[in-house]
Amino acid sequence: MGTYQHLIVERHGPVGWLINNRPDQLNAMNAAMRSEFADAWLELDADPEVRVIVHTGEGRAFQTGVDVSEIAGDGVGFARYRDDMERFDLHFTAWHQKVWKPVITAVNGICAGGGFHWVADADIVICASDSQFFDPHVSVGQVVSVEAIGLMRKMPAEAVMRMAFMGKYERMSAQRAYELGMVSEVVDPPEKLRERAQELGETIAKNSPAAMAATKRALAAALEHGLTEACKLGARELVSMWGHPDQEEGPRAFAEKREAKWRV
Amino acid sequence: MSYTTLDVHREGHVGWLIFDRPDRGNAMDAAMMNELEAAWAELDADPEVRVIVNTGNGAAFQTGLDVAQLAQDKEALRVQSRRTRDAELRFTAWHNAVWKPVIAAVNGVCAGGGLHFVADADIVIASTEATFVDPHVSVGQVSAYETIALVRRSPMEAVVRMALTGSHERLGAERARQLGILSEVVAPGRLRQRAGEIAELVGRNSPAAMAATKRALWGAFEAGLTEASKAGALELAAMWWHPDQTEGPAAWAEKREPQWAPIST
Repeated sequence: MGTYQHLIVERHGPVGWLINNRPDQLNAMNAAMRSEFADAWLELDADPEVRVIVHTGEGRAFQTGVDVSEIAGDGVGFARYRDDMERFDLHFTAWHQKVWKPVITAVNGICAGGGFHWVADADIVICASDSQFFDPHVSVGQVVSVEAIGLMRKMPAEAVMRMAFMGKYERMSAQRAYELGMVSEVVDPPEKLRERAQELGETIAKNSPAAMAATKRALAAALEHGLTEACKLGARELVSMWGHPDQEEGPRAFAEKREAKWRV
Repeated sequence: MSYTTLDVHREGHVGWLIFDRPDRGNAMDAAMMNELEAAWAELDADPEVRVIVNTGNGAAFQTGLDVAQLAQDKEALRVQSRRTRDAELRFTAWHNAVWKPVIAAVNGVCAGGGLHFVADADIVIASTEATFVDPHVSVGQVSAYETIALVRRSPMEAVVRMALTGSHERLGAERARQLGILSEVVAPGRLRQRAGEIAELVGRNSPAAMAATKRALWGAFEAGLTEASKAGALELAAMWWHPDQTEGPAAWAEKREPQWAPIST
């Protein structure tokens, strides 16, 4: 198990927790945290005890993107990320790391700029009722790109473009994020967020891990291809589960009114 | 340039492109189609203009092609038919490759080809009196470009329902807001003021960063997620050596408005 300086990695039953832990910097991502993300996703993905991963943050912010004070402070600037970005060789979200376990993002408080990477790349997103969403990139001369491209595939695009062009001058509420389908649940009071995320994680963990991994691959392909092509790839994922022991265990457990014992 | 079917003017950094055939529901005749191409180009080329607001004079926002006028203008009809067939339309900001942010402020009915201007805008707001209707199939026409773009940016059922119910049903402004087709509904008398306020805020952001952002985000409609992300990553990294990247944080630290460089730097 890795040790982390800027993240907290925990297990609670079948739920693996990945918690942003730079609360004094509103969980902004410095270079060290960026590296830790790459390791933490792989660690939780490789652990057979972990069936579902919840991602949230310590303090009053969920995530606020790249740590600009580090960029501005050490003379290296964005040059450190240039090669990775130009090759689109990123490793800080579950999608980047090809994690095929279900990922729940639980947004606590502020989600700004690069913080949207973990909203765009999660499977399920819930948020605390006091959450606020905004994207200040263009207000400081930065481009809005990868995270918004992902979001535009998952929700009405006008709202994403409005956030992109309004920059720091407007914030979206938890309620509007819910209306638009960016999040599926608003937890009130905010203090109940982690409890609800754990519950949701435990519920999802009752399902077949192999079927969920194939499902996640099939749905991810829907964001990559035209409809017919995506259905062809999805059909392959579907058929690949035929003959898997979970396909007999599922109906049997149902008939015997007990929890299924899935193959991991 | 002077226009007979459009009202094109500037207020500060905001360029206004206003449909101005109110007695014809702002329908596009041959003259308006030519003027639209010129107006988008003019506002896009003007470095003082950072944001463009598109709205209509009178009761309607835009009601698509003026079929009656085009029926009498064989040459214009031939040109538009060819452009439609070859996907070379020049009505909207997207058709004309405008990379400045565009706000559509829908003031009334938006029908048929009028939906182009909603589908191709970045930000859309509407008055409580705005309605959306796609009568193409009710007059034996196919609904294609506008609705193809709309299904990429909003829940699909609502768009297909509009396309197939034709002139027999209208989508209201509030339902359009719920669906995320637009983001704000305001009283009719406040629409232009509100559009101007939003434009003023957008106009305070880096023009170069917004142009690159717009290219990256509209690229999301063109390719699969990974391909679009790769192209977007290049747009992002390309700005890292632009002067706005140091001006933005400097202005913030000094608590002043940034002095942005022109887009072409």
